[in-house]
Amino acid sequence: MTSQAANPFAMSRIDPVAMAGVLPFLAVLAAWAFAPTLSDIPTYKLPAPTIVWETFVEMTLDGSLLWEIWASLQRLAVGYLLGNLIAIPLGVAIALNRAVAETMTPVLSFFQSIAGIAWVPLAIIWFGVGEGSVLFVIANTIFFASIYSTVIGVQSIPQVLYRAALCHGASRWDIITSVVIPGALVQILVGLRTSMAYGWRALVAAEMIAGTNGIGYMTLEAVQWYQTEIVILGMILIGVLWLALDFLVFRPIERVTVRRWGLLS
Amino acid sequence: MTAIREPKISINGVTLVHVNEERRQEHLAVEDLSLDIVEGEFLCVVGPSGCGKSTLISAIAGFMKPRTGGITMNGRAIEKPGADRGVVFQEYALLPWKTVLDNVAIGLKYRGIAKPERERVAREYLAMARLSDAAEKYPHELSGGMRQRVAVARTLANTPEIMMMDEPFAAVDAQTRLTLQEELLRVWDEHPITVLFITHSVEEAVFLADRVAVLTPGPGRLRELVQIDIPREARHWDTISTDTRFLKLRDHVMKLVRNPSR
Repeated sequence: MTSQAANPFAMSRIDPVAMAGVLPFLAVLAAWAFAPTLSDIPTYKLPAPTIVWETFVEMTLDGSLLWEIWASLQRLAVGYLLGNLIAIPLGVAIALNRAVAETMTPVLSFFQSIAGIAWVPLAIIWFGVGEGSVLFVIANTIFFASIYSTVIGVQSIPQVLYRAALCHGASRWDIITSVVIPGALVQILVGLRTSMAYGWRALVAAEMIAGTNGIGYMTLEAVQWYQTEIVILGMILIGVLWLALDFLVFRPIERVTVRRWGLLS
Repeated sequence: MTAIREPKISINGVTLVHVNEERRQEHLAVEDLSLDIVEGEFLCVVGPSGCGKSTLISAIAGFMKPRTGGITMNGRAIEKPGADRGVVFQEYALLPWKTVLDNVAIGLKYRGIAKPERERVAREYLAMARLSDAAEKYPHELSGGMRQRVAVARTLANTPEIMMMDEPFAAVDAQTRLTLQEELLRVWDEHPITVLFITHSVEEAVFLADRVAVLTPGPGRLRELVQIDIPREARHWDTISTDTRFLKLRDHVMKLVRNPSR
C-alpha cells in the first residue's frame, strides 16, 4: 500500500504542473491592475485591485463580510440538504421501480424546464421577500440538478451484482445498502457536486432578487451606492468560496470512496 | 460414487424461455430437460454455446421461472433466490466497493452474523484459497484468477447446499485456468459440497466432474450423462493428460458434443 492510499487526506506534494492553474488568475489580475492606466477607465467603473483588497480587509475586520458569507452558506446548506434528501431517494426509486419511473418522468421533465430562478416571482408571492423564497428556489434548483445523476448511477450497476447479492442471501434492504447506493455513488457524487454548483449560482441570483442579506444581496445592494469595489469583491468571493468547497469537500470524498474502489482512475 | 445418494436438485421436464421485452422476442434456451443433481457430487454440464447451460443456473438459483416443468431442492419447489444456492459467476461479480475480506464475509453479513465472527470465518476461507495477503485489498487490485478465487471463497464461506459455477474460468488465461481447476478440486476435497459446474470445455468437464451431462445445441436437451470414474487422486494435470481413462472419456464426450444428432 502506498502512503497516499494509507492516508487519503494527505495533500500531495506541490507539483509545478499542478500550479499552472494559477497562471490564468495572475493574467486576469494583471490585466485588471493595468487596464485603467492604459485607457482611462474611471475608478467608479473599475476600482483597482488594491481598493477591492482594502474593502475586503475593512469589511472583514468590522465583521460585516463574514455575516453575509455566513448567511449565504447557511442558506445553501439547508437548501442543499433539502434538495438532495428528496432527490437521491426519489432517484433510486425511479431507477429501481418501473411504476415510479412511468409516473414521475413526465412531471419531472415538465418542471425541470422551469427549475430554479423562474420560480422567483411565484416564490415571492407565496413566501414573501426573504428566507423562504430564496430557500425554495435553491432547493428546487438543487433537486433537479441532482436527481438524474442518481437515476443514471443506479441504472449503470451491472445486473450480475444484484444476482450475486441475492444468491448470498441479501434482503431488499441489503441490496439497497450494499449494491445500489455504493454502485451509484460515482454518479451520486457527480450529482452532489453539480447540484452544489447550480445551487450556489441560484442562491446568488435569488438573493439578488428576493433576499434580505447574503453575498448576492450585498452585491446588488452595493450598485445603488456605486460601490463597485463591493460588487467586484462579491463576485470574487462567490468564485473563491466555490473553489474552496470543491477542494475541501468533494475531492477528499472522491479520494476515499470511488477512486479507492477503482471506479474512477 | 458407489453409494446411491438422494437427489439434491431435481429438474423435471423443464423448459426455459428467455424473453426480450424490448424486441418482443422469445428464445427457447432449454427444452424438456430432466436431470438430477445428487447430494455431494460434482456435476459438469457441457454443450455448445447457446445450448442454455447458463440459463439452467439462473433457473435453479431462482432468478427465472421455468415455462413448463419444475425444479425442486430437497423435494421442495424453488420459488426465489436464496443463500442455500450460491452462484460463482463468470464475471466474478465481486462488489468493487468492498475489500476482499468484506466480500468473502458478505453472505454472513446478510445473515446477520456479528462482525468479529464473520471476519474470523472469512479469514479462514481466504486462507483456504491462499489469499490471506489480499484480505485488505480491493477487487480491482487483483488479477482475474485471484478474483475468481475470492468469488469461490465468498460462496463457500456462506455454506450453501449447492455451489453453482457458471463458466467460472472462461475469462482467465489458459495457464491460470489449469491451476484454478486443480485448486478448485483441492478446496472441494476440504469442503465437500454439491457442485453444478457449467462449461463449454470438454477437457475441463472431464477433469473436474463425477458425472458430465452433455446438452444438445439450443434448445438444450439432455444428450447423455457420462460417468467419470477416474479416482480423485489421479486428477492432476501433469499426469492425467496421458491417462488412458481420461483420454477415452474425453474423446467420448467430445464426440457427443460435436455430433449431437447421433
